[in-house]
Amino acid sequence: MRFDPRLILFFGLNALLLFLILRVNSSLSSWSIYFVMLGPMVVFPALYMRHAAFFVCTLLTGMWVDAAMPAPFGLFTTLFLIAGTGIFHWRIRFRAEHNYHPSILAHTINALAIIAITFTNGYELIGVSSFWIQFGITLIASHLALLLIAPWFFNLQRLCIHIFHLESEPESFPTS
Amino acid sequence: MAKVRLDTYRPLVALGVFIVVFWGLPAFFKSFLKVSFEEFQAPAWIASSYLDDLEGFWSRRSHSKVELIDAGQQIGRRMAFYQLLDERNQTLEAEIERLESILNLPSRREFRYEVCRVVRRDISAWWQQIIIRKGRDYEIPVGAAVIFSGGVVGRVIEVNAFSSKVDLITSPDFRIAAIFAGDERPVIYQGMPQSGFGSPVGEVHDAPQDLRTNSQTPLKLVSTRLGGTFPPGITIGHVPWLEPGSTGIFQSGEVVLDKRLHELNEVSVLIPLNTIETAGDAL
Repeated sequence: MRFDPRLILFFGLNALLLFLILRVNSSLSSWSIYFVMLGPMVVFPALYMRHAAFFVCTLLTGMWVDAAMPAPFGLFTTLFLIAGTGIFHWRIRFRAEHNYHPSILAHTINALAIIAITFTNGYELIGVSSFWIQFGITLIASHLALLLIAPWFFNLQRLCIHIFHLESEPESFPTS
Repeated sequence: MAKVRLDTYRPLVALGVFIVVFWGLPAFFKSFLKVSFEEFQAPAWIASSYLDDLEGFWSRRSHSKVELIDAGQQIGRRMAFYQLLDERNQTLEAEIERLESILNLPSRREFRYEVCRVVRRDISAWWQQIIIRKGRDYEIPVGAAVIFSGGVVGRVIEVNAFSSKVDLITSPDFRIAAIFAGDERPVIYQGMPQSGFGSPVGEVHDAPQDLRTNSQTPLKLVSTRLGGTFPPGITIGHVPWLEPGSTGIFQSGEVVLDKRLHELNEVSVLIPLNTIETAGDAL
């Protein structure tokens, strides 16, 4: 099996995005604004790489996020792999060369991540009104910011592929 | 009959195998994976924290000499004041020890104060935690109390090699025994989800019926030595109103916490000089 260097590139950029977002969240803690921006991490590995490389990249990204955030370990790994496998399975339907489809996928996965966190970490708080106020702020702020961040992140990934002279076309599409 | 290409289902099969294997893994293996990944990313956070310190250093370097001299004078005055307080504190400590020895009272719990920089704040609807820049390298124990100049910050819940996680006092998982200043009867303080507007808040339960408070002169809630983790008298917050609880026997109310709690840069971990019972403080 041929090793795909884009695996390292995508994983590194995912780790960078997570680091930056957590830094921003830390700085904005007194404003009670919290951004969840996990959606864009899954999209390009699933759209661009072969299955083995996508699987390893998404597994590492999921565990990296699981270790960095105070959610139960395995939540994001499982979520990313489920969402990524879905994208991979139907990736012939998505256009990776423009940002429109990847952005919609990123928003969908991000919303799923926020719902998953709520069910695992906030289940006992569901009846508390102040929880829903902050949940609403987080959801709206995250998706508004994602409108800017997701295209920027996808362009950064494309730029890095170009800079490092890596394969810029999606691989192993079904032939029939 | 149309041919079914089995290789198109390979990703789904791989996902199924992963889910079965991962959820069947022993807990210690998952814990090992989690700690390994945490330790692997810790240097990046600690390095960014040192870079923040460096940024602060350079921003202070840009201050004029007049400003620095003025700041030095102010610090000098505060130091002289605290030296006087320290002398008075030593005299009072000696008096307390003398009286304790006369009355044969059991010894009190003593703490070592470890000042730590805050590396990261994770404050959201789901969790309220901070990460501090000291861990096993400074013998920080799990369950240790964390305080700052405004009062109680929280409790250490996880210790890594060079960093520790602290559950904030606002976290719904945080619960301690407390007393109102000037009243020895214990009550229960618990964190609660934050709305995101105004000061951070918590809630107090099991307050006696005869206690009265108002927003002009709110009751002060402080820690007690009952749990064993916190020394007595550390400020938790102020209670501007109380109302009858669900049982009708006790009162409950909202505790207004220090505004600076969600923007901390430096905290103190209280490390007991004798052994700590980690589950002792949980009610």
